[in-house]
Parts: sequence; C-alpha cells; structure tokens
Amino acid sequence: MSDKKKILIVDDEPDVVEWLTVFFEENGYQTIGAYDGKEGFEKAQEQKPDLISLDISMEGESGVKMYKRLLESDDLKDIPVILVTGATPQLQNFFERLKDLKSPEGFFEKPVDKDELLKKVQELIP
Amino acid sequence: MPDKKIKNRSKIKEKVSAELFEQVPYNVAVIDRDFNIVEANDNFAHNFGDWVGEKCYKVYKRRKEPCYECPSAKTFEDGMSRVTDAIGIDKLGRRIHYIGHSIPVRENGKKGEIQYVMELTRAVTETAQYQQEYQILFDRVPCFITVIDQDYRIIRANEAFRERFGQVIGQFCYEVYKRRKSRCPNCPAAKTFKDWKIHRSHQEGIGKRGQEIQYVVSTSPLRRHGSQVDHVIEICTDVTKLKNLEKKIIDAERLAAVGQTVAGLAHSIKNILMGLEGGKYMISLGLQKENTDLVRRGQDMLERNFDKTTTLVKDFLSFSKGRLPKLQMTNPNKLAMEIVDLYKDIAAKSGITLRAETAKNIKKVPLDPDAIHTCLTNLVSNAIDACQMGEQKGSEVVIKTSDEKGVLSIEVSDNGAGMDYEIKKKIFTTFFTTKGGEGTGLGLLTTRKLVQEHGGKIFVETEKGKGSCFRMEFPKNRLQAIYKEEKKNGE
Repeated sequence: MSDKKKILIVDDEPDVVEWLTVFFEENGYQTIGAYDGKEGFEKAQEQKPDLISLDISMEGESGVKMYKRLLESDDLKDIPVILVTGATPQLQNFFERLKDLKSPEGFFEKPVDKDELLKKVQELIP
Repeated sequence: MPDKKIKNRSKIKEKVSAELFEQVPYNVAVIDRDFNIVEANDNFAHNFGDWVGEKCYKVYKRRKEPCYECPSAKTFEDGMSRVTDAIGIDKLGRRIHYIGHSIPVRENGKKGEIQYVMELTRAVTETAQYQQEYQILFDRVPCFITVIDQDYRIIRANEAFRERFGQVIGQFCYEVYKRRKSRCPNCPAAKTFKDWKIHRSHQEGIGKRGQEIQYVVSTSPLRRHGSQVDHVIEICTDVTKLKNLEKKIIDAERLAAVGQTVAGLAHSIKNILMGLEGGKYMISLGLQKENTDLVRRGQDMLERNFDKTTTLVKDFLSFSKGRLPKLQMTNPNKLAMEIVDLYKDIAAKSGITLRAETAKNIKKVPLDPDAIHTCLTNLVSNAIDACQMGEQKGSEVVIKTSDEKGVLSIEVSDNGAGMDYEIKKKIFTTFFTTKGGEGTGLGLLTTRKLVQEHGGKIFVETEKGKGSCFRMEFPKNRLQAIYKEEKKNGE
C-alpha cells in the first residue's frame, strides 16, 4: 500500500476531482483531493504527494498562487506539477506571471486526453 | 447784416486755413499738373519723408512715372473731388494702406482754372489689416457662421457654411439648417433675441446633399442701435464625426462584451465535457469490473453534467436574446421602487432590509425597462446572498439613484460578506459563481452586457467583511444617441 505513489488533485469542480481520483487509483496511484489553492497547499504540506494535478482558475485561491507558494517552499518545490485547465488565455497569463520561475512539468487542456495524461504521469513518477 | 462781421469771418478763415493745413490729422500735399509737389504739411513729411522738388508718385510709391489711373490727374481733368484707396511706401520703406482725397484748388475762387490738386491722405493700414483678418477668420474658421435678422432670415453666411449648406442669403435659418417650414422648438436664437444672452445647444441639421449634420450651436446677440437685438450670430461646430466615433465606441464595447461572454462560455463547456468524460469512464470501468457502485457514480456524474448543459443553454439563450435594448422613456426611480416591492418580503425573511434612496431630480430617460429590471434583480439577489453569507446583524441592501453631470447612475449596495481581491477580479471575467451548483455564473455577465448595450459601464467597490456596491453608470447623451438610432431604424 505505502509503496504506491501519491497524487494530489486540485480542482474546484468536484466531478473533475472524482473522475481523476477513480482514474489514477485504477492505474495504481494513491490520491488526495482538494478544491482550491489554499486547501491544496495545506494538503501538499501535510501529505507530501509525489505529483500534483492543478487547475488554474478556481474559486478562492487560484492555481497560480498555489504554484508560487509551492516553489517558495523548500519541502515542496521539487514535486512535479501538471496543469489541468479549461482556458487557454489563463494558461498564457499563468506563464506570463511566472516567467522567471520554473515551468510546471506538464499541462493539459480540458477536456483532457486521459491516456496522454496517464502517460505523462507515469513518465514523471514511474 | 453788418459788413464788419463778414470781414472778420474771412480773416478768421484765413487764419484757420493756415492752422488747419498743419494740424489736420491728414498728410496734406499740393501738386501741380506735372505731379510736382509744391507744398506739403509736416504730417506728410513725417510719414513720406523729404518731398521738396520731388514728383508725387516718387514720394508716395517710389515710382519712376505717374500712377495708372491717377485720381488727381482725373481731378485736374474734370474738377471733381475724389476718394480712393491706395497702397504706398512710407519713408522707412514700409508698405502702407491709405485713403486719399483729391481736391481741386482753383486760381480765382470757385469758377477759376484748376491750378493745383490738394491730396489729403490718411493711413488705414491697421484697419485694413483688421478687416482682412476678420474676413479670413469669418470665412475660414472651421465653424458654420450665420447672421440672422429678427425674421430668422440669414443675412450673412461664411464660406464653411455655404460649402455645407449652399447659397442661403435671404432664406429662413430653420429652412436651411433643418428643412423645416416653421421655427424650431427650443430655438436658441429666439432666446438670445429675448434675453440678450448667449445660448448653446446641440442640434441636428440636414446638409445640401441631404446628409445628416450634428452640430453644437452658440447664439450671440448683435446690437447695432442699442435698444434691441437686431441680429443674432449663430456659430456652429460640426460634431458629426465625433458623434459617429462615439457610436463606434459603443458598438465596439458591445462586441467586446460578446467576446468575453463567448470566452467564458467555452470555459464552462470544457468543464462540462470533463464531467461527461469522467462519467463515461466510470460507467465503462464499473461495467468492466462489475462494480455497480462505480456505475452509479458515473451515472450520477453524467446526469449532473447533462443538467448543467441544459441550464447553461437556457441561460445562454436568455443572455443572447435581444441584441439591442428596446429603449423607451423610463423613470429609473419607478424601476427601483418596483424591485424593492418585489424583493422586500424575501429579504425580510432573512432579516435583511431592502430599501430605495431615489434622487428627486431624476427625469425620464431612454432605458430598456425589462433589461434594467433584470440587472437590478441580479444585483439585488446577489446582495441578499452576500448579506446571508456575511455575519453582520442589521443587514441592509440599498438601491440608490442619482443624476449628476449628465450621468444617470443606479447602484445596489449591501453590508454583507464583501469580496476579496481574488474574487473581485473574477466576477466579470468568467462564468464564475460562488454559489456552487446553484448558479451558472451568468448573472453578473448578463448585467454587464445589458449595461454595456445601453452605452453604460458597471463598477464594483467591495471590501471583504464590509460589503459591496455595484454601480451602473449611463451617460445620458449615449442613451439619447442609441434611442435616436433605434427610432430611425424602426421607422
């Protein structure tokens, strides 16, 4: 049980969290769900996941802010992050605001191609 | 009559003549038939320089031969006095414009042969310059200028006016400006005739080719005899281009609102697609594993997202309905009161006071009453929700109207939960909702769209924990412009 890699899924759409939870667990991962950036960061600190799937535009604290806080934290800055987001303009905005910082390891536009997503996850945390 | 007196008179005359010759405010020169200057006064010498032994044409104009059409030569010929204007050169070489009188001087009283001609000249250079400047100004200033008499007939019109409206002297101004048969209502010139004051107003005219001309006119009184205004000067600035630009800006803002809406819609649909994809995956996984719980969860997920689609489509249809507002003369205060009546009971159930503070100076303006009703409903129901979320006691929601500096504003404020920066940023940009499954996030978008279609803007001020204020501002000249355009298109 404990040798399973842990994925933190952060999205304000409960259906997205539920689906990705089932999907990742089915493929041999452990999951944690969070519904905004604040909760996401807290759970990351608490449970030290191996990978984070992060939405950008969320009610409450956004994905941009959470990503920044992750990079500022010595404990968490090396956790790979995959963006899973709905809007392309927000994605551009995300990169503009973080242009001096490390880019996330991957990004997927909703609706995601689940096989591609899994491939990326397996690549990052085999 | 005593001879003595007559004798005195001629003596006096002689003395005065000599004095006059020097003191008269003219340059005086006396010439003979060969154009030699035989006498001149000090003024002449002062202005034209040394004259002794010189020909008049040389002194006046530095010419080598007599002037063409010399008036003094003609006076020598026919004995008639003449007044002409001419341009000469003074002793310093400056060009001067002067009026000259040529007067015959006879040898023996009135009947004798003409021996000399006396030339009286006076410089009018400055006056001539002023006149020229005035004429240029009058004709070339980029405004239409007309002078009208008390019958409203045009007695003068400048070049800019004639270019746009044609030859108009003697016609009635209302005929020329607007092709009317009678005087315009609210005529600013009529006011000026009456109160002698300057009046300004915005008008719409018709040019000589039938084109619409928007102009701002100012009317000034012209009194020639003191006791009444004989004429009025109408100075008009053409603002047609400006008005067209303003219309384009309104259109562009409307288009921008549509663009933002579509972007928001796309985002919403992507999330729904995600949900559908998820439901499909879970059902197929559940079937494969014969796990009914998973199938049921997938089924629920599909249903939820189909429902979302239905709601979204419905909201979106109502959002896209009626691309132009249907403006009619509406009293904003009445609208505010209607909303208060509709929602005060609902608000009261949650312990919230809903009231209106309406400004007394508000008159009817062109608004789409249904659209503003929708906006107010959205804002008030948001405000009530915000009060319910907030922790204050004695919550209230206030609808306030005001009309200042040509802008009608209607605002809805509450002392409820307020918003932090993160939320404030998002309220107009996406299909954003803080109401979970209850909202589609279209309320404020719809409100903004409706306000923009009125040529207006919506502003929000908010502080977390203190409350929010949403203010819709409608510049009244824009409302009028849209109203006119609609009426024109409707005809």
